[in-house]
Amino acid sequence: MKIPHIKTFRRYQIDLFIVGQLALVFFVLTLFLVLPVGTLLIKAFVYNGRPSIRYFRDLFSDPEAIILPPKGSLIKIETTYRYEILPNGTKVLIPEKVIYIGKMGPDFGYLLNSIFVAFFVSLISLSLGVITAFIMARYSFLGKHIFNLLLLIPMLATPFVSAFIIGKVLGRVGLLNYILHDKLRILPYRVEISGLPAVILIQTLSFFPIIYLNVYAAMVNIDPSLEEQAENLGARGFKLFRYITWPLSLPGVAAGLVLVLIFSLEDLGAPIGLSGAFGHGLHQKLISFMIYYEFRRAIGGISQVYPATYALAVFLLLIASTGFIAIKRYISLKTYAMLIKGVPSYSRVRKPSVLGLISIYIFLLLLVLTASFPQIGTIVLALTNWALQMRPPLPSRLTSEYMLSLVTDPNIFKAILNSLLYSGAAILLIMLVGTSASYLVARSRIPGKDLIDLFITIPIAIPGIIIAVGYLLFFATYFSGTLLSPFNNPGLLLIFTYTIRRLPFTARAVFAGLQQVHMSLEEVSYSLGARRATTFFKIVLPLIKNNILGGSLLSFVYSMSEVSTSITLSALNPTQGPITFKMSQAIYATAAVGSVSIAAALGILLMILQIIAISISNYVLKQRVTLVGV
Amino acid sequence: MVNVKLYNLTKKFGEVIAVDKVNLEVRHGEFVVLVGPSGCGKTTLLRLIAGFEFPDEGRIFFNSDDVTELPPYERDTGMVFQNYALWPHMTVFENIAFGLKIRKLPKAEIVKRVKSTLSLVKLEGLENRYPHELSGGQQQRVALARALVVQPKVLLLDEPLSNLDAKLRIEMRDEIRRLQKELRITSIYVTHDQEEALTIADRIAVMNKGKIMQVGTPYDVYKKPKNLFVASFLGRCTILLGKVLKIEEDRLITICDDHLIVGIVPDKEVEVSPNEEVAIVIRPESIRLKREPNKTYNVMSGIVDWVSFGGNHLDVKIKINSSKLLITLDPHADVNVGDKITVYIPYDETLILPAKGVYEVAYAHELLDI
Repeated sequence: MKIPHIKTFRRYQIDLFIVGQLALVFFVLTLFLVLPVGTLLIKAFVYNGRPSIRYFRDLFSDPEAIILPPKGSLIKIETTYRYEILPNGTKVLIPEKVIYIGKMGPDFGYLLNSIFVAFFVSLISLSLGVITAFIMARYSFLGKHIFNLLLLIPMLATPFVSAFIIGKVLGRVGLLNYILHDKLRILPYRVEISGLPAVILIQTLSFFPIIYLNVYAAMVNIDPSLEEQAENLGARGFKLFRYITWPLSLPGVAAGLVLVLIFSLEDLGAPIGLSGAFGHGLHQKLISFMIYYEFRRAIGGISQVYPATYALAVFLLLIASTGFIAIKRYISLKTYAMLIKGVPSYSRVRKPSVLGLISIYIFLLLLVLTASFPQIGTIVLALTNWALQMRPPLPSRLTSEYMLSLVTDPNIFKAILNSLLYSGAAILLIMLVGTSASYLVARSRIPGKDLIDLFITIPIAIPGIIIAVGYLLFFATYFSGTLLSPFNNPGLLLIFTYTIRRLPFTARAVFAGLQQVHMSLEEVSYSLGARRATTFFKIVLPLIKNNILGGSLLSFVYSMSEVSTSITLSALNPTQGPITFKMSQAIYATAAVGSVSIAAALGILLMILQIIAISISNYVLKQRVTLVGV
Repeated sequence: MVNVKLYNLTKKFGEVIAVDKVNLEVRHGEFVVLVGPSGCGKTTLLRLIAGFEFPDEGRIFFNSDDVTELPPYERDTGMVFQNYALWPHMTVFENIAFGLKIRKLPKAEIVKRVKSTLSLVKLEGLENRYPHELSGGQQQRVALARALVVQPKVLLLDEPLSNLDAKLRIEMRDEIRRLQKELRITSIYVTHDQEEALTIADRIAVMNKGKIMQVGTPYDVYKKPKNLFVASFLGRCTILLGKVLKIEEDRLITICDDHLIVGIVPDKEVEVSPNEEVAIVIRPESIRLKREPNKTYNVMSGIVDWVSFGGNHLDVKIKINSSKLLITLDPHADVNVGDKITVYIPYDETLILPAKGVYEVAYAHELLDI
C-alpha cells in the first residue's frame, strides 16, 4: 500500500488564525518597511534606468567626504575681542585668548567623521558602562539604591535641548568658563569645546547607560557558583574578572555596544542641538545631519534632492546594519550564556575597602552629576529665565511662563496632541503586529519564520533618517496626491514610521513572554478540543498580557520622543508636526526669544512621560529596561 | 471504547529519525507503557498520537477512523504532561472545566462533572485554589482530572510522575492505575523508569533509537526478552560472553571462561546456532548461594569484590576470572569482601541471546568489566 503524504498545511500546522496573523505582519512589514527602504536602495543603485554605482562614485569623489590626513587641529588658541563698557560709558574692545577644542578640527570628511565619532562614543561608553555595571553588580555600599535611580536620569531623552544646553555651557561665554575662568580663575584662558569632541561628549553622556544596563543585567545573571568555583580554584581580583566575569558578560556588552554604535551613527540630536548653540560648524559634518540637511530642502519635491544623498543614506544603512548583524551573530555564537538558568537565588556582593569606597563615591558622583546635567539643565531652562541671561550666564528668577505655554500656545498644544495621536495610533498597530509576529516566530512552524524575526528586529539597526528618506521617496513617488502622500499627510505616515521603528520594543517583550509560557500549556488546551484562536485568546493572551503592556508602554514613550522621521517628514507640512518637530524648530530653525525654553518645557513633558512609562513597564515586566530608543 | 493502531509511523527532525517505522496496537481499555532511555523517541511517539507533531510517514487510527491528519483539537485525547501544564491564571475549577466549556456543555452539567471528577481524584474542596497554592501531588491530580473530565477517547500521559518525590510517585502510580481500571479508558503512558513501567502496565513497549524493540506483558518482557537491549534495560543483570557448544531441545550448552553454562533461549523468535558467540544474561535474583548436589554445570566460584547494603537486600559482586557477577542476597547474609563463595544458577533462569550489539549495551549499562 502506498502511504499517502501528509498535506503541506498540516505538516506546517497552518490554519486560518496563522494565515490571518501572517497576512497582517506581511502587509505591515512590506508596505511600511521593505518597500520604502527598498525604493531607497533602488534609487541609489539606478542611474538613467540602469543599474549603476554612479551616485557612489559621486559620493566618494566629493572632496568633503573623506579627508585624510584630517584637516585642522584639535586644539587651537586664538585671540578674540569682546566689548567691555568702561565706567565712563565708552565701549572698548578687549583682546582675549580662547582655547578652542574641536572647533577647527579634526575633520576627516563627513563619511569618516561619523565613524570617528561612533568609534569614540562606543569606546568611552564601554569603559564607563562596564565600570559602573561592575560597581553596581558586585559591591554593596550606602546609597547604592539612590545611585541606581540617578544612573537612569541620563537615559531620559530630551532631544536637542540636552545638546543645546551642553553646547551653551561649554561655550566661550558659558557657565563653565564663568565658573572656572571668571570666578575661580583656575583657567588662564577661556575654553570652548565644540565640533566633533562636543558631539562625542554629548552622545557618550546619553548613551553610556545603555551599556551599563545591559552589562549590569548580564553580570547579576551570572550564576554565583561559576565565580565561586573559580575562586575555589585560586582565581581572584582581576584574574577572576578577566577569565570568568568578563567573558560571561560579553553578550550583554555586545548587545549594549551595538545599540550605542547605531544610535551614535543615526543621532541628529547632538548636531542639531549644537547648531542651536554654536550655529554652523564641524558638529554638522556628519552623515546623519548631511542627509537631514539635504532633505530639508526638498519641501518643493524630492527632485530637488542631490542624488548622491541617496548613496550617502545607503552607506549609512550599510555600516549600521553590518555592525548590527556582526554583533548579533557574535552574541548567538556565545552560547555559553545558556549556562545561566533563571535568575540566581543569591548574588555576590561585597563591601569595598575604605579606599575602594571613596573611589566608588567619587566616580559615581562625578558621573551622575555630569551625565544628568542636561536633564537638570532642561528643568532649569524651562522653569527660569536662564535662556535670556548672558552675563552672568545664570538664571535669576523662576517663571511658569514656558510650562504654561504648553497649554496656552495653540501651536505647541497642537503639537502635543499630534504626538499623542500618532503615538497612540502607532501603539495599537504595534500591539497587533508585535504580538502576531512574536507569536508566529515563537509558536508557528511555517517555513521562513526566521525572516519575520529578522524583520521585526532589524528596525533597531536602521537609522531613522533612512526610514524617513525611504518614506519620502516611496510615498511621494507612488502615492502622490493621495492620503498617503508625505506632502499632504506627513502625520499619517509618522504613525507608520513610529510603528516600524518602535515595533522591536514590544515584539521583544512579547517574545520574552512567550518563551516563558511552556508549550505544554497550549498543547493541553488543543488536546481538550480548543482551536488555535480559542487557545490564543484564553490561554496565551492572559499569560503574556503584562509583556504586551510593558513593551507597548516603552514603544509609546519612545514614539513620543522619536526624532529622525518626525522632524524630516513634518517639515513638509509643519501643522502636522509632533513635539520633537516643534523642539527642533525652537532650537535650530527659529531664533525667537524664549523658544528654547519652550523646547525645554516640552522636554520636561517628555521626561515625565518616560518616567511614568518606564516605571510601570519595569513593574509589570519585573525587570529593568535594557533598551532605549533615540 | 477505543483502540489505537499505529502503522509504520515515522517522524524525522532534520536528519534525526525520532520514530522509525513503528507499528503498535493498543486495545480497548488497555494500559500500555512506552519505556526506553532518553531520546529513544517515546515522547515523540506520544506527541504524534496526540497530534502535536505530524508523522512523515505512516498512519494513526482510533478504531477505524484515520486521525493521522487531524489537528490535536479534533482528536479527543486527554493529555497529562510531565510539568502538569496547569494554567496559572485559572483556578482548579476553571482548569478542569475548560474542556467542557469548549464542548459547550450546559453550566449545571459542567459543575456536576467537575465536582464528580474532583472527588474521583480526591480533591474535593480545592476548586477555588490557584495552581501555585497546591502541592506537587495535588497539581498532578488536577492535571489528571482535567484530562479525564472530558471522557477522552485516549488518555496520554508523558512522564507524569517524574517531578514527584519517590514516596508520592508510588502512591500516584497506584492511583493512576486504579482510575484507569475504574474508567476503562485506553491509555498510553510514557516513562523512562523501568520499575514504574513494570508495575503499572498491562503491556509494555520497550523502545530504543526510534524503534519498538519488544511489546508484551511486564512478565514477558522481563522474563522473555527478545534481545539484549530489552534484557538489560528492564531490571538489572550481568552479561557474560560465551560460545554455544551444543543445542539439546530447549537447552543450550555453552562454554564461558572454562565454565559450562546451560541456559535457555527466552523467546521462540530468537535464533542461536552452534559455535555462535552468545551473551549469557543472568538476573541477580536468579543466583543461588547454595550449590545443588550433583550439578556440574552453572556453578561458579569467585571472590567477593564489593558489597552494598540496600535496606531490604544486599548487593554483592563476585569476581570470577575476568567477569563480575552481580547477586542480590538476603540482607542478613554474612558476606564480606574477600570471601570465597560458590554460586549456582538454575538453567531456566539463565537467558542466552545473540551477542550482537553486546558491547554497546554493556557499556551503556556498565554491565561488563571488559
